[in-house]
Amino acid sequence: MATLTATRKAALRRELETIVGAAGVLSEPDELLVYESDGLTLFRALADFVVFPTSAEQVAAVVGMANREGIPFVARGAGTGLAGGCLPAEGGLVISMMRMNRVLEVDYENQIAVVEPGLVNLQLSWAVGPRGFYYAPDPSSQQACTIGGNIATNSGGPHTLKYGVTVNHVLGLEVVLPDGEIVWLGGKTRDALGYGLAGVFVGSEGTFGIATKIVVRILKKPQAVKTVLAVFDRIEQASVAVSAIIARGLVPAAVEMIDQLTIQAVEDAFGCGYPRDAAAALLIELDGLVVGMEAQAEQIVAACRESGAREVRTAANETERQLLWKGRKSAFGAYGRVSPAYMVMDGVIPRTRLPYVVARVNEIVAAHGLRVGNVFHAGDGNLHPNILYDPRKPGEEARVVAAGAEIMKVCAEVGGSISGEHGIGLEKADFMPFIFSAADLELMRRLKEAFNPRGLCNPGKVFPTRKSCVETGPVAYRPHAIETQGLAQRF
Amino acid sequence: MPLLDKLRAIVGPTHVLTGVERSPYVLEGRTPEAAVLPGSVEEVAAVVVQAAEAGVPIVPWGGGSAVGVGVPPARAGLVLVLTRLAAVVEHEPGDLTATAQAGITLGALQGALRSRGQWLSLDPPDGARATLGGVLAANASGPRRHLYGTARDVLIGVTVVTADGAIVRGGGKVVKNVAGYDLPKLFIGSYGTLGVIVEATVKLRPIPDDERLVAVRFERFDEAAAALRALLTSDLIPNAVELLDTASGGGLGLPLAPATLVVGFDGLGEQVDWQVAELANVVVPCGGGKPVGLPSSTWEPLAAAPRDAFAAPAAIMTLSVLPAAVVDTMEQGAATAREHGLASAWCAHAGVGHVTATLRVEEHRADPAPVAAVLERWRAAARAGGGHASITWAPLPVKEALPVWDDAGAAGRLMQRIKAQLDPNNLLNPGRFVGGI
Repeated sequence: MATLTATRKAALRRELETIVGAAGVLSEPDELLVYESDGLTLFRALADFVVFPTSAEQVAAVVGMANREGIPFVARGAGTGLAGGCLPAEGGLVISMMRMNRVLEVDYENQIAVVEPGLVNLQLSWAVGPRGFYYAPDPSSQQACTIGGNIATNSGGPHTLKYGVTVNHVLGLEVVLPDGEIVWLGGKTRDALGYGLAGVFVGSEGTFGIATKIVVRILKKPQAVKTVLAVFDRIEQASVAVSAIIARGLVPAAVEMIDQLTIQAVEDAFGCGYPRDAAAALLIELDGLVVGMEAQAEQIVAACRESGAREVRTAANETERQLLWKGRKSAFGAYGRVSPAYMVMDGVIPRTRLPYVVARVNEIVAAHGLRVGNVFHAGDGNLHPNILYDPRKPGEEARVVAAGAEIMKVCAEVGGSISGEHGIGLEKADFMPFIFSAADLELMRRLKEAFNPRGLCNPGKVFPTRKSCVETGPVAYRPHAIETQGLAQRF
Repeated sequence: MPLLDKLRAIVGPTHVLTGVERSPYVLEGRTPEAAVLPGSVEEVAAVVVQAAEAGVPIVPWGGGSAVGVGVPPARAGLVLVLTRLAAVVEHEPGDLTATAQAGITLGALQGALRSRGQWLSLDPPDGARATLGGVLAANASGPRRHLYGTARDVLIGVTVVTADGAIVRGGGKVVKNVAGYDLPKLFIGSYGTLGVIVEATVKLRPIPDDERLVAVRFERFDEAAAALRALLTSDLIPNAVELLDTASGGGLGLPLAPATLVVGFDGLGEQVDWQVAELANVVVPCGGGKPVGLPSSTWEPLAAAPRDAFAAPAAIMTLSVLPAAVVDTMEQGAATAREHGLASAWCAHAGVGHVTATLRVEEHRADPAPVAAVLERWRAAARAGGGHASITWAPLPVKEALPVWDDAGAAGRLMQRIKAQLDPNNLLNPGRFVGGI
């Protein structure tokens, strides 16, 4: 959505070029198109400029200009988000962090790393891996998504069951506040002084400012890892097994569930060794000391068998383990085999409600005449129903959106949440009242007011006010530019 | 109707304390106008509404174990005592979560959880007296934070009464949740300056099969430093790594040694056995003694060390430094104190860089100047290493001699703006916190 006159736009372009260089500014419509949506292609919005700063000072100068001109701005990482959170909903500037992608410092003795926001998540684990360390948060998009983007959404991943989500690994941030001031929230020490603003900033979906340096914890790789696949003939049995594992006092590193539709799609695409006729499978991973690993694995096997598993097997070696994980992590890509499009939902429920809610999800989707594949973080109750549809069929996308809203209501009704790791963004802003009262939202608004009083920093997100001029509602699916270029799959 | 009558109408006359009954709630010599003990979340909200209308400041109060932290308010106003809100609202073991009212003591909560095989992984000192809300508001922690983290790693939902008397919920009941801003993180460590915590939902852990605490003595601090480095890069997964100097170790009844490393392990019995044995292989080559088992009753005083090392402390300071700087901080800090003729006791959650030091009151020395001088130098040392240091307890004259809280810099201005948004009339614990918040 272009909002500027041609002359003003030309003047602003010249100014942006003086800040980030001529090669750091995009303003032509065909160039801007790449940045009109994220991984959720239902929403699209065009910026006036995309800029590529290389330092906090450049970010601050760009933000300063935006303030002076009253232009909205939003930071963007790899654009793998799934809630429209990094869209320029009201035009203005997209500030791409992709050129700030360095590991600035690794301090093995203190087990911390200082990184720039555009660093790809997995690259940090690669950087510290040779010394026996890794970065724990592992969203499924970790080969593409950036740590800055992970900060915005407080990303999770399979192993967050044991190790916590992004916020549990962030100690401090250098941030360009929405007024252009550069401040440190927290730092390198474990305890912050004053309010825990680093923790408040993480998960604020780009509405509190732009992180330019991030201090994260790195963890020692565990001595041993064991991966177990449990196969079930009924999906309820798999849900019950999750609670049975918890009831035995075990805290696995990950407990992931994969349903039949997903298993078949994955097997068609990659052949990872999941039984095609299973109603559901649980992928369970234990890590820690070598001593005791066998005893814990036996407990897991017993819990699964007790819950009705027809087969429980352990990955015999690292190759088998990687293959099982490939099945889990490529599930989203594999849906392409069975459906022209799908929409991934993200909700959280208390673990004990899994049997009820998984059944309800399947009922809701069926009632809308659609199919659903479930692949999700069962261990912490974080559902990802993927509703399959054909965007060329009139009305189908609208039914997907309606089914999604009903699923979110069910999550709310059982005491859950409308997002476990993808964020609210544009997608779920209108669902916020499902779980928050007017008073709850008012306090959040005041907090936002303290950080972002002019509202120029990522407007139109998180809060249920829908006055932006984004193309909302069902629009015909078009592949995202990075998809057509083969750079990304839809996760 | 006068304020106190309105309050009596809300909470019942027996729950508004005036006169001598207020004595437990005197704040460093400042007597509140009344202590009010509401019996429900709604009563808390109604009390706050009345106080706000009358412009009377409010001091939220749990077990009173952290009321000496920070700057006492200029006007004590109403002490809002939360101990009648002491119910476990919900505990679903299968979900590994529990919701409890803020006024329950940590000890009572742990007791209820333990009966069903679970625990909340926070072990600050004074668990028998400290309340859940107070522990969260003070971001209190203990030795097991080495493995299990602090309040920010366990708090998933919070209900607060805001300065205008609204009942607000942040977070939720589920262990993973990114809907809306993370209000639980905002209220952790906010010392009652942004709202009154009335209920909290926390993540739980299963109680481990076995747990053991062992001590390793060192003749020299640099040997302890080498052992610490070796331990933290080994395959061992300790749940606590504490470093104590002679005075702190003595306070715990440990055999006197220049430095003692106290290490905890939990898990299956075979895991604990292996780790205790392996610990010897890690620390002995660095100059440490053979690990010696400690009774489980050591955990509680360990959490409070070095506060109780001296019968009469002159001041207590907490220093946040990088883990690799812990040993130097302790050794040089003690030397600094000696230069000023003062004895000190030191204890650190060494793996996470959380160091606490106590100064001893010397006879015939009421003068706060040397105490303040030492604290200043300790703070400067922490800051030089990228850390910070704040006074966690001191008599008023010392608190008047130097800032209780370290300087939060540019972030401090953001904190002021948050306070102004959430408590525009400055009624919640005014003046207690960082930067005069």
